[in-house]
Amino acid sequence: MDFPFLFQTMKTLLAALPVTLGLFSLSVLFGGFLAILIVWMRVGGNPILSRFARGYIFVFRGSPLLIQMFLVFYGLGQFGFIRHSFVWPALREPFVCAVLSLALCTAGYTAEIFRFGLRAVPPREIEAARAIGMSGFLLVRRIIAPIAFRHALPAYSTEIVMMVKSTALASLVTVWEVTGVAQRLISQTYRTMEVFLCAAIIYLVLNFLILQAMALLEHYLSPHRRAAAPLVPGGLPVSR
Amino acid sequence: MWLVETLGFGQTGWGGLLLMGALMTLCVTLAALLLGAVLGAIVAAAKLSQSRAIRTAGGVYTTIFRGVPELLIIYLVYFGGSSAVTAIGAYFGFEGFLGMPSFIAGALAVGLICGAYQAEVYRGAFLAIPKGELEAAEAIGMHRFLRFRRIIMPQVLRFAIPGIGNVWQLSLKDSALVSVTGLADLMRTSQVAAGSTRQYFLFFIAGGCLYLVLTSMSDRLFARAERRASRSMPAGIGQI
Amino acid sequence: MAAATRLSVRNIHKSFGAHEVLRGISLDAHDGDVISLLGASGSGKSTFLRCINLLEIADQGEIVVDGERIEMTMKNGHAVPASRKQVDRIRAELGMVFQSFNLWSHMTILDNVIEGPVHVLKRPRAECIAEAEALLEKVGIAEKRHAYPAHLSGGQQQRAAIARALAMKPKVMLFDEPTSALDPELVGEVLRVMRSLAEEGMTMLVVTHEMGFARNVSNRVIFMRSGEIDSDGPPEELFGKGGSPAFRQFIGTFGK
Repeated sequence: MDFPFLFQTMKTLLAALPVTLGLFSLSVLFGGFLAILIVWMRVGGNPILSRFARGYIFVFRGSPLLIQMFLVFYGLGQFGFIRHSFVWPALREPFVCAVLSLALCTAGYTAEIFRFGLRAVPPREIEAARAIGMSGFLLVRRIIAPIAFRHALPAYSTEIVMMVKSTALASLVTVWEVTGVAQRLISQTYRTMEVFLCAAIIYLVLNFLILQAMALLEHYLSPHRRAAAPLVPGGLPVSR
Repeated sequence: MWLVETLGFGQTGWGGLLLMGALMTLCVTLAALLLGAVLGAIVAAAKLSQSRAIRTAGGVYTTIFRGVPELLIIYLVYFGGSSAVTAIGAYFGFEGFLGMPSFIAGALAVGLICGAYQAEVYRGAFLAIPKGELEAAEAIGMHRFLRFRRIIMPQVLRFAIPGIGNVWQLSLKDSALVSVTGLADLMRTSQVAAGSTRQYFLFFIAGGCLYLVLTSMSDRLFARAERRASRSMPAGIGQI
Repeated sequence: MAAATRLSVRNIHKSFGAHEVLRGISLDAHDGDVISLLGASGSGKSTFLRCINLLEIADQGEIVVDGERIEMTMKNGHAVPASRKQVDRIRAELGMVFQSFNLWSHMTILDNVIEGPVHVLKRPRAECIAEAEALLEKVGIAEKRHAYPAHLSGGQQQRAAIARALAMKPKVMLFDEPTSALDPELVGEVLRVMRSLAEEGMTMLVVTHEMGFARNVSNRVIFMRSGEIDSDGPPEELFGKGGSPAFRQFIGTFGK
């Protein structure tokens, strides 16, 4: 093994890590907010908003992220009214386009995840909250959202790891994050295996850290389960 | 009029090419799904093995191919495969760089990824078979292979249908990334059409709509298969 | 006159880790014997039954089914059957009925019953179907033959499972708490089927908590306690004056 080369490659790739992390955290943040908005529209009771949310989820989950990203990156600039508007200086930036399309896409998936979390909230507990006079935002904030979020957490962790992988697509709209830099290194050196190895390690470590953090969050959010969980009776299977 | 002409099937229309691209997308995804089914079955068996070493190997496979960006895996297969093809070519006296056929590279890369997801699906489906049913098969004197063929296989397939449906959707969207190797799939064709007519918005929307048609049609197909397969389940249980 | 010995078990030992579940159990079942195995949970009676058809492998001991001894060898310090083929053949001769029925959920009731005869014994399908329908008639669920297990009540499922075991034409039937998973009102229909089997002269080994069955149907009762046979004898003797103090106390807990 050529360790100096691996070391050099790792250094080059790690230099691009902040870009990957930036894409990731901004799109998860904005995507999360957008998802909450969409879930609210989806379950809010207004048939028009609900239909819109349904359509949104269908479109963004049903088509590839790459085509969405190209649509934002190449498609928006085609319209004069956008090019001449105040948002254009931002939308001209590949980084902004990448974050925008990543956030729009993950919002579709996350909305569905949150909706299934909502369905897991026991109606009895909502009733109990209403019985003591809670309603509206207070009810959502204190009772519904915490229960729903905890139920959604495992699926949400999976979605977040998918997002880490999705940031790689930003390289196709000229944002130089880890995968883009790796591709450039491969085509310069033809040492596919070594470069892949380094990049893969970076992503796997990143996933591992994120999953650990999510597990910690889950642990922190479920004290009642820790207390209630009976010790698994140790010992033996069938011993009647 | 202009719209009909651009998207139509006439001499200046891109309709025919887009449909060909959609067909190519279907073909490459189907090839990947079949390859992934074989890989997935092997890896699932490894993850259920009694040997710790084999289990670990299975775990490493699924961790890598589910955790590393799809784009990076496509680069690995395409560039790595091309180096191999070039080396073989040099051995037979061809000069210079030989590319790996992009269909094979694409099917292989997406197949490796969807193999990892299918492995999880099959493993879960196997674990969903009530242990008692396997014991009953043993008690009646079925040998290993017969047990696999008559009791395990049919049930694994039944339990796996929804999971395979998800993997298919995922692979359909992942296959769009194969366009970076130059394969004339739906993504690549939309891109070429958009670039040469400068109608980015129009063609990415058209391409996206065709993807939506593919995903929603296959969704319906899998839902029907699932209903058929859950005939033996009481109402309510089969729909989970 | 001595009836033929259908099943002979000698000195079975079985441990799970450090816990010794069976400590040298021996038993002979002759043709037409109906033996009830009683005991508190944890006394090892189910494990004993599972050792007989090798769902658990005994650490020590000898099992002879209808004159054929199951050959064992040692591998990595554990006893294992020498021939998988022999095991499969012997299992086909022992009908097993489980507490949780264990019908194959992806097959109809009829398919469950003919599965063994067609695929293990490799007999002609039409013949097996005719026999299976007669058996389903006998256990009283002929009209359910095209239903799937999940659509049947527990009592119906257990009767189907009995038919499935009978379809193999077993030499001995093993019942592992066949009524314990059933609602009380469904227990009777399964016991009736078992009783009629006993009257036809089937050799049966029944792990059960049904004292009525043990007392009135079986011709021999074995009471197990911490992995050993505590009392063994005809029911009239054991339920009369002959039982050990432990047995008296055990049946006392059942309110009799």
